[in-house]
Amino acid sequence: MTTRIELNHLARVEGHGGVTVELDGDQVRTAHLEIFEGARLIEGLVRGRRYDEVAPLVSRICAICSAAHTLASLAATERAFGVTPSPETLLLRDLLLRGESIESHALHVFLLAAPDYLNAPSAIALAAEHRDVVALGLRLKRLGNAIQEIVGGRAIHPVNAVPGGFGSRPSMDKLVRLHAALEEGVADVQATLDFVATLPPQDAGRSESAYAATWLPAGYGYEAADQIAIELGGRRELVPASAYRTIVAERTVAHSHAKHSRWDGAPITVGALARIAVNGGRLPPSGVAAAARLGLVPPFEDPLANNAAQAVELVVDVERALELVDQLLHAPAAPAAPVPIVPREGQGTAALEAPRGLLIHSYTYDRQGRLRQADIITPTAINAASIEHRLRKAVEQSPARDEASLTHRLEMVVRAYDPCLSCSVH
Amino acid sequence: MKPTVGIFGLTGCAGDQLAILNCEDELLDLVALLDVRDFLMASSGPDTGVSLDLAFVEGAVASHRDEERLRRIRERSRTLIAVGTCAVWGGIAALDRFADRAALLEDIYGPASRSFDQLSVRALHEVVPVDYRITGCPIEREEFLGAVACLLNGDPPPTLAYAVCAECRMREHNCLLVERGLPCLGSVTAAGCEARCPGLGVACIGCRGPAADRNVESLLASLETRGTPPAIVRRRLESFGPLPTTMVGVAGEDR
Repeated sequence: MTTRIELNHLARVEGHGGVTVELDGDQVRTAHLEIFEGARLIEGLVRGRRYDEVAPLVSRICAICSAAHTLASLAATERAFGVTPSPETLLLRDLLLRGESIESHALHVFLLAAPDYLNAPSAIALAAEHRDVVALGLRLKRLGNAIQEIVGGRAIHPVNAVPGGFGSRPSMDKLVRLHAALEEGVADVQATLDFVATLPPQDAGRSESAYAATWLPAGYGYEAADQIAIELGGRRELVPASAYRTIVAERTVAHSHAKHSRWDGAPITVGALARIAVNGGRLPPSGVAAAARLGLVPPFEDPLANNAAQAVELVVDVERALELVDQLLHAPAAPAAPVPIVPREGQGTAALEAPRGLLIHSYTYDRQGRLRQADIITPTAINAASIEHRLRKAVEQSPARDEASLTHRLEMVVRAYDPCLSCSVH
Repeated sequence: MKPTVGIFGLTGCAGDQLAILNCEDELLDLVALLDVRDFLMASSGPDTGVSLDLAFVEGAVASHRDEERLRRIRERSRTLIAVGTCAVWGGIAALDRFADRAALLEDIYGPASRSFDQLSVRALHEVVPVDYRITGCPIEREEFLGAVACLLNGDPPPTLAYAVCAECRMREHNCLLVERGLPCLGSVTAAGCEARCPGLGVACIGCRGPAADRNVESLLASLETRGTPPAIVRRRLESFGPLPTTMVGVAGEDR
């Protein structure tokens, strides 16, 4: 007998989607993540635009990842024109991405994922019994937004990041205030670890996956990189960012407006857990300790471990943001003017880490600096095949067979990926 | 009695719902004043049947599904508020009206796209009657909080007729258009952002949509003398939604 489990409106995720699983007895026939976002065709609509118009338009692909989209776009454009931004610009971009990650992870860990562990429909409901926990999450979220406001000029869709640099350098007194807020954040991320460590354990199945993340020359971070590292069952490969198509072979599937990616036949997972799987050896000591405390060890077969991985990154990001603000405070206020840009015909590809994983923008420009072609691969599009694989495993491996238990597992799996469904379609 | 409230997103970036969740200091007080029944981005178990006193809707209509949802929301709501530039003006996806949508769809998504549920992009008022509008890409949270305060008192939320340019002058920023010849759209764009971009030395790109008080002809002429052809300015002006037919607007006359 065939049974169908349908989740028509996924709650506590960004965007609109559903899950349908078809079962023959205990055997899973199909497991689909359905994405209902309307197609906005942004890659098509930016064609013909001058290079300085592109980043603010593609930023609108997604609000929660808007800094990542903006900076991936700027880096792709700069690479196409052979422009190298100043070291201070790179510091500010690193800081902006940390801010976005802090905001996004705090939102996800506390407001979207935590209610599942504590049997509440929402963080608002959770606040009735655990007001301190929700307040902690909101404080960290506000800290991430403060960084984005000060560096990016706005918390959502940053306006201050432009081709070649920034419109203005953050003022010294804003940086001083941010420094104080980050110092308070250090205690808050430790409290976050305490909170996540004591959440009741949940099981949603285990299975192998390929993990991919950018590979920087050094360190653990999100900024634009020249290489992507991908790992599967102990095998590891480094791929130039410009050859991204060899790892994310996209195919369009009928049940979803998002395109699907696979590597060597295996679904690819990106995001906080993938970054720790790929770059774990580069975590600072605080991150190593946090990962050990939350039990994040290879082979990373539990998809729900992404929630804990985000908590680890909160520790790392607040620490790094504090270092970056320190450096900015002690550096002489360099002239903020962006590096001048001379358009030329060419192609540029940027790979960086959005909070929810690997993001690629690849552009082709004509001689006048007008965009001829844009190719944008978002983390949730890369994750879509992996999510479906894990949905299947969640049902197959469930000891409880009643619909309520299976549904709970399915929801937790999707949410753990922190999907951004509007990103996945764009 | 607390008003029943729904917060919804159609096709878009979810930035306006995120801007609401970004009211970190006010969120818990806010939900104490409102009876939030349906807010899928933040809560599971939405009450999809209850009639709503206030429905805040972000995003544009880009599919039959969006259209049906919006009609259903309208039916069950006493007051419907369009939130954000996509809902108010169509947003950047509405650029599709200057492109061959069918060809782009096939080009980007391949033959499978023929089965997609998708439509040419429309603002909310092109589909159902809209009571109030809070524009911005994204909305400014102070404007949202101010609007909620008004609505709780039974007052209409205020709208600003003047342009970003006025806010920029009040803050005494240097003029990017006059002094640097940049194609700043602040003189025709709806105020409310406190001139964020010009304040940072970055030209306004018009993300809040047109101001009620505007003189587009004058802007086009002024930029043409500074070397930016009108066709380019016009295209920039239409990035966040089609321009109203009247190029010179006076508060209260259009829309």
